Amino acid sequence: MINKFNSFILLGCILCITLSCQRHEEKYHNITDKINALSKAYEGTSISSEAYIHVPTIEITEGAETFLIPERKGQITSYACTECHTQPLKEMQSSSSSKKAHWDIKINHANQNTMECITCHNSSDMDNLKSLTGKSIDFNRSYQLCSQCHSGQFKDWKGGAHGKSAGGWSSPRAALTCVNCHNPHKPHIAPRWPVRYNTQKIKERD
Amino acid sequence: MKRLIVFGNLVKDSLDTITRGPIKYHVWMGVLTFIMLVGIYCYSIQFEEGLGATGMTDRVSWGLYISNFTFLVGVAAAAVVLVLPTYLFKDIDFKRAVLIGEGLAVAALLMCLMFIVADMGGPDVLWHVMPGIGVFNFPDSMLTWDIIALNGYLIINISIPFYILFRHYQDKIANPKVYIPGAMISMLWAVGIHLVTAFLYQGLQARPFWNNALLGPRFLASAFAAGPALIILILGIIRAYTPFSLEDTTFKKISLVVTGAAIINLIMLLSELFKEFYLLTHHSESAYYLFFGIGDKKALLPWIWSAISMNVLGTILLTYRKTRNNFKTLFFACSILFIAIWIEKGFGLIIPGFIPGPYGKIAEYTPTGIEIGVTLGIWAMGAFIFTILARVTINIEIGRLRYKKKE
Amino acid sequence: MSNTKKWFSLNLGNKKKEQSSSCGCGSTTGGCNSNNASAAIGEEKHKDGFDQVFDVKMDRRTAFKQLTASLMIGAGAVSTSCSVTSGDESKEKAQIDWEEQFKGNYKLMTDDEKKATVERLSRSYQLRTGKTVDISSRNAEEDVLFGYAFNISKCQGSMDCVNACVEENNQDRNSQMQYIRIHEMMDGQGFKFNEADDNYYHEVPAEGHFYMGTQCFHCDNPPCTKVCPVQATWQEEDGLVVIDYDWCIGCRYCMAACPYDGRRFNWTEPEIKEEKINKNQHYLGNRPRKKGVMEKCTFCVQRSREGQNPACVDACPTGARTFGNLLDPDSTIRWVLENKKVFRLKEELGTEPKFWYYMD
Repeated sequence: MINKFNSFILLGCILCITLSCQRHEEKYHNITDKINALSKAYEGTSISSEAYIHVPTIEITEGAETFLIPERKGQITSYACTECHTQPLKEMQSSSSSKKAHWDIKINHANQNTMECITCHNSSDMDNLKSLTGKSIDFNRSYQLCSQCHSGQFKDWKGGAHGKSAGGWSSPRAALTCVNCHNPHKPHIAPRWPVRYNTQKIKERD
Repeated sequence: MKRLIVFGNLVKDSLDTITRGPIKYHVWMGVLTFIMLVGIYCYSIQFEEGLGATGMTDRVSWGLYISNFTFLVGVAAAAVVLVLPTYLFKDIDFKRAVLIGEGLAVAALLMCLMFIVADMGGPDVLWHVMPGIGVFNFPDSMLTWDIIALNGYLIINISIPFYILFRHYQDKIANPKVYIPGAMISMLWAVGIHLVTAFLYQGLQARPFWNNALLGPRFLASAFAAGPALIILILGIIRAYTPFSLEDTTFKKISLVVTGAAIINLIMLLSELFKEFYLLTHHSESAYYLFFGIGDKKALLPWIWSAISMNVLGTILLTYRKTRNNFKTLFFACSILFIAIWIEKGFGLIIPGFIPGPYGKIAEYTPTGIEIGVTLGIWAMGAFIFTILARVTINIEIGRLRYKKKE
Repeated sequence: MSNTKKWFSLNLGNKKKEQSSSCGCGSTTGGCNSNNASAAIGEEKHKDGFDQVFDVKMDRRTAFKQLTASLMIGAGAVSTSCSVTSGDESKEKAQIDWEEQFKGNYKLMTDDEKKATVERLSRSYQLRTGKTVDISSRNAEEDVLFGYAFNISKCQGSMDCVNACVEENNQDRNSQMQYIRIHEMMDGQGFKFNEADDNYYHEVPAEGHFYMGTQCFHCDNPPCTKVCPVQATWQEEDGLVVIDYDWCIGCRYCMAACPYDGRRFNWTEPEIKEEKINKNQHYLGNRPRKKGVMEKCTFCVQRSREGQNPACVDACPTGARTFGNLLDPDSTIRWVLENKKVFRLKEELGTEPKFWYYMD
């Protein structure tokens, strides 16, 4: 009987030892603690995302955030606008001889009472946009125009919760700007079809 | 040196014994060999094509192989119920049954290992798991515990009967001081292998159907019912076809064990059913699928309900003394109990663990012909090994096989 | 190779060729830097096999003795390596196959050993197809912990991410394996994954539905790595949960242990047309797999360790996906975590996924 008892104790000891040999060093209770603890000593990484920014960019600073956005003016085919818009808009509209331009643009942005061409475009300064209060806004910084109404999206975009990265995850941070995804004249993103359909999954479930 | 010679003789005599026998024996072995060959052929197809040749998918990633593995661990563990009374209470008539039981454990364990190997995606790199040359993720992975448990149990169950038989072969008495400690270890170990195998599933928080504290104990209860039930059947066959004499009391004692375990198993089943169905939660879905089916997915219904009815019927037949002591009804009860638990611990446990999947997707599982072929092949191999072991054991025990010193 | 080899290697008498250009990136771009740029961490001496785990030195001879047991199994490698009569190339191929069959676990390799196996793999690819691949063995960088955020209100279910992932990560086209699932859920029903459809084909976004993507969440407390009997899967220093495809034995225990359906198994030999193979690879990432091993999302380790976003992030047309360094207080991912209402799936399981969901 004593032998039996001893063997139980022995077995228990072996079990305890093996269990305590766990090679883990679980220092943190959860991932948030881990992030907070480890990021205290953060000094940046050697990894750079510079190589993945494929478009010309400009640097902007909005609030606490400084990052790169694609340069816009170089991408507009017939910028500067004043190369065509040599006369004031009134005259161009009235003269029946000249060709019509921008006739295909239909504004589908909010409703007609709120938005029309000159809400954003400046008829007296075609090379720049204008704010609701008539201040001039550079085409490169068109987000300033959008942010007048879409302040929530603007806040998220600055932080990184809205919009899309234009580079990699590391510094320098580059983000697409509003007009890279949304057409300002009809900002709603159109429905489409999924790019794939998995026929194997159908088989698997039958 | 002398021992080696005796051992050589034992091997030679055993080979003699297993190659000679009545015509029925040869037919039996021939049939088994044929099934094994079919199994090997099926495995070669699976080896060539990959596990895609089986019915398993990303949704149900363990199937027939792991089901059978789980069940057979139980059968192997059951040898212990015979070991316990025999060696401790010196129950002589039980001792003969024990050797058979341990032989059964050896065969079952080899089948377990075969099923595991058959289930591997990379059988050519299995050496990665060997302690020493591979990386053995002990103690984190329950699978490594299981590897230790199964192989340890295999060694114990080979060495104890071997020692006894080796002594008897030389007409000597086996020294209890040698084999009783071994039997003690084997006893603890048997509980261990089954618990560890249950922990394999029980520990996974991803599968609520398995992640349940009763799984381990229920494994033990069903194992102690199915294993000895199989032993009763085998002893019955041995008694009918060989001169190996077995007392009626042996059967009666083992059937008592089966009865107790089967009743406990039913109680635990009831407890599980209550927990799953009293208040249906999201986690009851697997059980719901198993017992009632979800939508038009009802593949397991016929299996589990036949298992449960056989289980209940078998347990009732065993509980009544009259039917338990009648050999015809006893054998009948044991065989339906065995089949019931095979379904319950195999199909009824492993497959619903995966259905519905982690995101509620229901994809059913049906084994392919190749999978069934491999499974039958492994069972045939188990039967083959067991027949050899039993034949040698019986011949030594009845004194037909003895070491003859050279004049 | 390091001088202290713990693995038996068969030298068939051909000297190791000087292969300065074997990584195949040519001399123009200096693209080999992925190999040279092995990071400072992980510099300490690693050990193989048993030594790696229990710190027990193993005699080379005993190692060989035990290895011979598995030689029978590795008969394929043996038979090819015995064909010494054929040309230099096939000899080299056999040598590579041999060394690959009996190499150790990548997790426990020294940087030199990692470089050697990567070189062998790219050389073997070159010998087989005549094409060159660039396989990296770049280690985790210090002060990096990758995390991911998914904006449920932005995803429109176009599945561009899925396509990009399949192309980037060389998944089996035959079985249409995909790491990412996009679940289409009904508005007003909550997260009913069981009623969601992850294989729809109609115009998206469908009226009254929202979309939720799942993939490997790279848990900080991953159950899959714990259960692996051979440590073929583990969490790297930068938080990526990776798999050594050559060390995996295919038991699929990790698959059973994953509560997020993050893992995939190669049930048959994966098939990808040669011209479709992404040649920019990482050992732990998108290098082609074989049948019978696990694989899963690695946050595109071949891209992320170089500073690039995972392919799904770059492919998303709506910007629903954000990826970044959790340890960098100025990163966008940190801004999302600190300023949006984020949550994770099945948090009660204690797996600590590094994949957060949020809404606008």
